[in-house]
Amino acid sequence: MKKTLQDYKSIIEPVWCPGCGDYGILVSIQRALLNLDIDPENIVSVSGIGCSGRLSHFLNTYSLHGTHGRAVPTALGVKAAHPELTVFAVGGDGDGLGIGGGHIAHASRKNVDMNYLLIDNQIYGLTKGQTSPTSPLGVKTKTSPHGVFEDTLDAIPIFLSYDVSFVARANGVDPKSLTQILMEAISHKGMSIVYILSPCRTFPLLDAKGLKAILQPLPEDHPTDNKMVALERAYSDQPIYTGIFYQVQKPTLEDRLQNVITKVCDNTNGGDKYSLDKVLKSFA
Amino acid sequence: MKEEKNKKGEARLMKGNEALAEAAIRADIDAYFGYPITPQSEILEYLEREIPKRHGLVIQAESEVASINMIYGAAGAGARVMTSSSSPGISLMQEGLSYIASAQLPCLVANVVRGGPGLGTIQPSQGDYFQAVKGGGHGDYHLIVLAPASVQEMADFVFDGFRLAEKYRNPAMILTDGALGQMMEKVILPEEGSLKKVETPWATTGKPASRDHNIITSLFIQPEKMEEVNHELQEKYKKIQSEVRFEEIQIKDAEIVLVAFGLSSRICQKTVDLAREKGLKVGLLRPITLYPFPFKRLNELAEQVNFMMSVEMNAGQMVQDVKLAVEGKVPVYFKGRMGGMIPTPEDVLEEIESVLDNEKVLQD
Ligand SMILES: Cc1ncc(C[n+]2csc(CCOP(=O)(O)OP(=O)(O)O)c2C)c(N)n1
Ligand code: SF4
Ligand SMILES: [Mg+2]
Repeated sequence: MKKTLQDYKSIIEPVWCPGCGDYGILVSIQRALLNLDIDPENIVSVSGIGCSGRLSHFLNTYSLHGTHGRAVPTALGVKAAHPELTVFAVGGDGDGLGIGGGHIAHASRKNVDMNYLLIDNQIYGLTKGQTSPTSPLGVKTKTSPHGVFEDTLDAIPIFLSYDVSFVARANGVDPKSLTQILMEAISHKGMSIVYILSPCRTFPLLDAKGLKAILQPLPEDHPTDNKMVALERAYSDQPIYTGIFYQVQKPTLEDRLQNVITKVCDNTNGGDKYSLDKVLKSFA
Repeated sequence: MKEEKNKKGEARLMKGNEALAEAAIRADIDAYFGYPITPQSEILEYLEREIPKRHGLVIQAESEVASINMIYGAAGAGARVMTSSSSPGISLMQEGLSYIASAQLPCLVANVVRGGPGLGTIQPSQGDYFQAVKGGGHGDYHLIVLAPASVQEMADFVFDGFRLAEKYRNPAMILTDGALGQMMEKVILPEEGSLKKVETPWATTGKPASRDHNIITSLFIQPEKMEEVNHELQEKYKKIQSEVRFEEIQIKDAEIVLVAFGLSSRICQKTVDLAREKGLKVGLLRPITLYPFPFKRLNELAEQVNFMMSVEMNAGQMVQDVKLAVEGKVPVYFKGRMGGMIPTPEDVLEEIESVLDNEKVLQD
């Protein structure tokens, strides 16, 4: 039977504030999954803690709500145990770039085949408006009543330096292009990060109009296999580019683990007797 | 113990978290490092707003792991420092606290406890009693633990916490909960500047020619040396026992003693009144320090009463220490709610009555 958007909607109604950017992102994810015709029962979404982290509850997929900042290693665990599933990690700017910032590098080194949706609203939403690593210099928040004094963390160049195998930035209030980028990310084999800018309505530092003014799609002929060009455009702040900066094929975690098993078993009982698949099935 | 402090200053209506934060400024902290988490973000927010106008500095860390290690660094450099968080964040700090305890550095940590386990709820709880009083992290160490039961004590215990932490060069914790953090009450704040700074010759403050360099560490690779350090710590914990504090309410003629700390003790105070109206001789012992714990006093009371009941907002944690204290002399019962739920004075009275009914059945 042909699926509809409804198949990806959870029975739990979203609890975000009216006008929150996360609503649009949720629909874009659902639409991307529908377009790719992925069965909801073969998807696990792992979320960190934050308003954005609630997202996994509102998708009709299996869902695992992790600890604050650890969606990425938790998603790694899911993927390692069930490589056949489509695995998402979802979290906010505080979750992913603050408390959990250290994990991205290491998931990237393993090239875990997961889709990390990092939803940046430049604020700690759930805890009601404190400074996040991406709050702009000088703005006033609950924990920066005299203005943020730290430099803003620039995420895309970091992901590129970590050699994440798929790096994109998306405008959360432009569902059409977001859906397109998400489809590419989900289809990518390896670790993908889609860094989504999303306005928080309650503690507003971004809004749809402002985003439209500062964002611009990468040039049509942007070479996604050229890291230096990607880095140069990632550092650009006028305009701030959206789209896929970089994409590369490399062995995934699954491939790498299989390689180890094959290598070790070659020396003993003739390699193909053992496979990662068998190891995992033995746990089933 | 309260009278001497309460004589000065005018009463202000404040939230528990804000009273604690204001007291920290008045206690002349050099620095506060913290990370937002409900129900205690007001502490960080208050200090972010107020400290720059006065003295000291405040930094929002990128995580609680970072906060506690900033504390480790600044305490090691001889600064008077403090952090605060709520349950999940305090769990993240345990490794650092174990190191700080081993390196024998003073600092103050406030845990505004919420219901757990896990991410749990933002409602008040006392589910972190074990974590606070038994060490919490790895190895044989203890925090000095104070349990306020009012907004007044949220403020006062900042001073008491630092006093004890600095006297013993040991981390101290204020174990409170979301309700005390959020509730508004009248408070007379401790006087600014009344907590003298202590000498810190052990600190990493830069080396004058006259002095060997200081090394602050918790690494003692030789087991003989590690055991020596452990002995030293244990000796210290023995001395700390003399700092035990508790409050007794209607204990003199009590046949039944409720044992409760923090918010639960306030509930039990009402239960005592309700019970007395019914002619039941119920009293209350409120541990003010949870480490050190009033083992001795409870043991004495066991000679006098028919039974004790520990009342907690958890599945029964302090009750184990009460049982240890009474050494089987009298039965110790437990009444608690979990997950952010709070028992009412009537719930506790009902539990007392049901124990009495059961005992009667047994005697008939
Ligand atoms: C260990 C720990 N520390 C702190 C918190 C409190 N907390 C919950 S969400 C959050 C930050 C949320 O901000 P962000 O990741 O940007 O997500 P948003 O709500 O903005 O979508 C914090 C600090 C927690 N849950 N666990
Ligand atoms: S606080 Fe902001 S991010 Fe959170 S639900 Fe409300 S609008 Fe969305
Ligand atoms: Mg955010």
